[in-house]
Amino acid sequence: MPTAIIERTDIPLMPIGEAYDMGRAPDGKPLFDPRIFDSREFARNPYPYYRILRDHYPVYHDKLHNCFYLTRYDDITTAYMDDEGFNTIPKGASNPVLGNTQLELSGVEHRRRRNLYGQHLVGNSLNARIPAIERLASEMIIRFSGSGADEMATENTAGRRTVELGKAFANEFPIRVVCQVLGFPEEAQDKFFYWYYSMMTGLGGSETARQGLEARQDLEDYVAGLVVERRANPTFLCDNDGNSMGEDIISKLSRTQIDGDWLSVEEVTSNIALIVGGGGETTRGAILNMWYLLLSHPEQFAAVRADPSLFQQAIHETLRHSSSIGGQPRHTSYDITMRGVTIPGGSLVNCVDFSANHDDRVFKEPERFDIFRDDLYTGKLIRNGYDAEGKHSHMAFGVGPHLCPGAWISLQESILGSEVLLKHLKNTRMNLDRMPKDINGVTLAPIGGGAIRELWIDFDA
Amino acid sequence: MMATKTELMQLPGTAPGRNGVEIRASLGGRGGFYRSYEVYQRQRVKESTYLINARVFLKPEFLRDPYPALKLMRENYPFYRDWVGNCDWVTLYNDVTSIFVDDANFETRAKAWFYGMPGFGRDLREELPVLWAFASGIDRHVVPIAEELIAGLKRAGAPDLATGVFDRLDTYLLAAVLGLPRDDWDTFARRYRAMMEGWHWHPSREQDGKDAIARLSTYFAPLLDARRAVPRDDLLSALASGELESGPATAEDVVATLLEGDGDTLRGSLINMWGLLLSNPEQLADIRGDPSLAKRAWQEGLRHTTPVLTAKRFARQEVERFGRLIPEGGLVVCSGASGNRDAAIFDDPDRFDVRRKDLCYREPRGQYRADGLPAGIAFGPGRPSRYPAVPEDRPRSLYAITRDAAVAVSNLILAELPGLGLAGAERPEPFCRWPGDLHLYRELPVTF
Repeated sequence: MPTAIIERTDIPLMPIGEAYDMGRAPDGKPLFDPRIFDSREFARNPYPYYRILRDHYPVYHDKLHNCFYLTRYDDITTAYMDDEGFNTIPKGASNPVLGNTQLELSGVEHRRRRNLYGQHLVGNSLNARIPAIERLASEMIIRFSGSGADEMATENTAGRRTVELGKAFANEFPIRVVCQVLGFPEEAQDKFFYWYYSMMTGLGGSETARQGLEARQDLEDYVAGLVVERRANPTFLCDNDGNSMGEDIISKLSRTQIDGDWLSVEEVTSNIALIVGGGGETTRGAILNMWYLLLSHPEQFAAVRADPSLFQQAIHETLRHSSSIGGQPRHTSYDITMRGVTIPGGSLVNCVDFSANHDDRVFKEPERFDIFRDDLYTGKLIRNGYDAEGKHSHMAFGVGPHLCPGAWISLQESILGSEVLLKHLKNTRMNLDRMPKDINGVTLAPIGGGAIRELWIDFDA
Repeated sequence: MMATKTELMQLPGTAPGRNGVEIRASLGGRGGFYRSYEVYQRQRVKESTYLINARVFLKPEFLRDPYPALKLMRENYPFYRDWVGNCDWVTLYNDVTSIFVDDANFETRAKAWFYGMPGFGRDLREELPVLWAFASGIDRHVVPIAEELIAGLKRAGAPDLATGVFDRLDTYLLAAVLGLPRDDWDTFARRYRAMMEGWHWHPSREQDGKDAIARLSTYFAPLLDARRAVPRDDLLSALASGELESGPATAEDVVATLLEGDGDTLRGSLINMWGLLLSNPEQLADIRGDPSLAKRAWQEGLRHTTPVLTAKRFARQEVERFGRLIPEGGLVVCSGASGNRDAAIFDDPDRFDVRRKDLCYREPRGQYRADGLPAGIAFGPGRPSRYPAVPEDRPRSLYAITRDAAVAVSNLILAELPGLGLAGAERPEPFCRWPGDLHLYRELPVTF
C-alpha cells in the first residue's frame, strides 16, 4: 500500500504560451487545477490557462476560491451589460484600501454618481486640457533626455544614455496628470506619492494591507481639512488660455450633495483613491507595455516612428494584447444559468478581461502583437463596445454602465506622452542587458498578467 | 456578433428547512428586486488581519497541523475575512455552533452541487424505512466485519490498524448493510472512497469521483430491480420498496443517498481515536481497565483531533452576525476543529484526556449543550438531520449509530489485541493530503 503523503502544491514553470499538464478526463478534456491562480507560473504566463477555460470551461466554478470565472468575450460582454443580474455591490466588505466608490454601486445609485466628476475626464473639458498634459510630459521628459539631464536618473556611455522608462517618466506622469484634474494641492504632492504607493501595495495581501490602510487613513485625515476648505472656497480648472472650465474634482466632490447630504470625507477620499488608483497604475502599465511591445517589434516601431498617428492603433492593440487590469468582479443578484451552469444568487463571478482580449473567437491569433490587425476596432471609444464589419473593441476598459470613466483621459495621456517621448528620444532601443529576465535567466521576463516591472531603454544623448 | 442571451432561472420561492420551516430561496424569489446601494463596511486600520495570511490554508504546514493558525484566528480574528478563499472563517466554539443550528439563515449545499450535478438523485437518508434499515444493518454487521478485519490484521506481516482495519471497515460495513455480494465489496469500497473525496475542488479527484458516481449508478440499477422482485433484509431493499414517502429509489437516488451521507465519519473518528490512544499509552491502559471509557475516548478523540476540519455554510439571505454583514450567498467556513480547541470552552483544550470532566457525553441533538456541558463539534460537512430530537418510535440518529458502531469496534480491538502498542519509534501524526481533505492519522503500525 502506498504511503499517504501531503500532496505537492508547487506548480512547474512552463515556457511562455504553454500550459502544464493538469491531467485529462477520459474524453480527452483537459482538467483544470484552481491552485494555478495562486501560482508564480500563472502570474508570468496566464494566457494558456485562460485558453483552457475558454475552450472547455466557459463558466468555471472554482471551488477552492469560492467563485466563478467567465472567460469568453461574449459572456463577459453579457455580464457587463446586465448590471441587474451581475451587480457590482461589494459582498460583505468593500476593498479595505480603496473603500466604497461608484465602482461598487449598481443601477440607479451608480448612474446618479457616475457623472459627478466624469466631465473632466472626457470631451471638451479633456480636449481643453491637452496642452497642459503635453506640457507636463515635455517637462518630465526633458529632465532626463535634455542637455541638462538629471545625472541621478541616467547613465551615459559613448553618446548613449540609459534610463528605466518607468522611473524616469511613466510611473509619475499619470499621477501628476490626475493630481492636476483632482486639484490636489501642489505642496502636498510629495506626500501624496507616498500615500499612493503604500495604498497600491496595500491592495495586494495581508502583509502589506495594514500599510495600505494606514496610508489610506493618513490621506483621509488630510482630505478632511481640504474638504472643509474647498466647500467654502472652491478651486477651478483652467484651459490653456486661463479660462475657467469649472471646479476641479475635489472641489466638485466636496460641494456635491446627494439626497440633501454632503458626500462624507470618507466617500470623497474613496473617490480620490479610486481615481488615482484607476488612473495611475493602469496608465503607467499601458505606456510601458506599449513601448515594450513596440521595441520588441522593430518593424512596427519603425512604422509608428514614420507616422506617429499610428500610436492610436498601437495603444489599442497594446490594451488588447497586454492590458494592465485582469478583469472585474461581479456578484449574481439571483440564480443565473449560463452555458448550462447555474450560478447561484450571491456568487462572486470574475469576468476576465485578459481572456476576452485573447479570445480567438473574436481576435485571430490573439497572442500575436500586431498594430495593423484588421479585427480590432481602434476608433473613438464607445460605451457599449464596438461590433461591426468584423471588428471588435477590446475589453481593457470593459463595456456598459461601468465602462472605465478614465478611459478617454488615459488614452490621451498614453498617446500624448508617447508622442513627446518619440520626439525627444532618438534612436531608441531596449537595453536587453538590464531588462529583468525570465526564469531561464536568458529570455526577457514576460509581461504576464499586468504591466512589466521595468523597461530599460537606450537612446542618443 | 450576437451577445449570448443569459437565461435567467429563478429558484422556486421557497425551500424546505429544518422541521418543515419554509425558507425563501433567493432574492429571485422575492420578485426580482435587488439592492443598488453599498454595504458600508470598509475594513479599518485596527481591523486589518496582518497576523495571518490567507494563503496559509493551502500550505503544507496547515495541512499537517492546522491548530496554531486556528488558535491565532480564534484569539485575534474570530470572524476572519479570507480574501483568497472568498469566505469568512468562524472559529470560536459558540460562533460555530450558533451557525450550525441556524438552519433558517445558513444552508448546507449538497455534495452533488459541488460536483456540478445539481438535482442528481434524491437524498433519502431521512426516510424512516431507510434509517431503520441502516441502523439495524450496522448493528448486525459491525462486529462480524470487525472480527474478520482484526483476524486479517493478526495474520499480517506488518500490521497496521489504520490501513488494515479502519480504512476498510466503513466501506465493508456499508456494503454489507446495503446487501452487496461479498465479491463486490472491494470494488464498491474503491468507488465509494473516490466519490467521497471528489466533491472538493481537486480536479483529478473530481474526475475520479464523477466516474465512480456513474459506475455506481450503473452497478445499482440491476440490484435494485432484483430487490424489488425479491426483497431481502437489507438497505437496498428498503430503498427499493414502495414504502418511502417520496416513492421508491432509483439507482441515482441510492448513489445520492450514499454521497450525502457523510459515512466517512466512522472511519475518521476511529482512526483518530486510536491514533491518540496509541500515542498516549497510559490512557489506553486506563481504558483497558474500564471499557466503559471507550465511548468517552471516542468523543474526546473527535473533539481533540476532529477529522472534518471545516464545514461550509452559505447564507440564505443577508444576515448580520459577529458585527459584520454576511451577504446572501456568502460562504461561512465553520471550523469545528477550532471550536473544539476553544480555551474558553474546554480546559487545556490541546490535552487529550479520556476522563475529561468538561465535555458533554450525550449526543448533541440540535443543541450543543446538555447538562450544562459543551459537546464536541464532530458533524461531517453535511446537512444536519431533520430529526434533531428522536421520539421513542424512531431509529437512533446517525450520530448514535456511528457512536455505537465505533464503541463496539473499539471494545473488540481491546479484547482481541492484548498488549497493543505502536510499532517502531516514530510517532505518527495526523495530516490532510490536500486542502479540504480529512485530518487523519494515515498509518498506525502496531504490535500486540
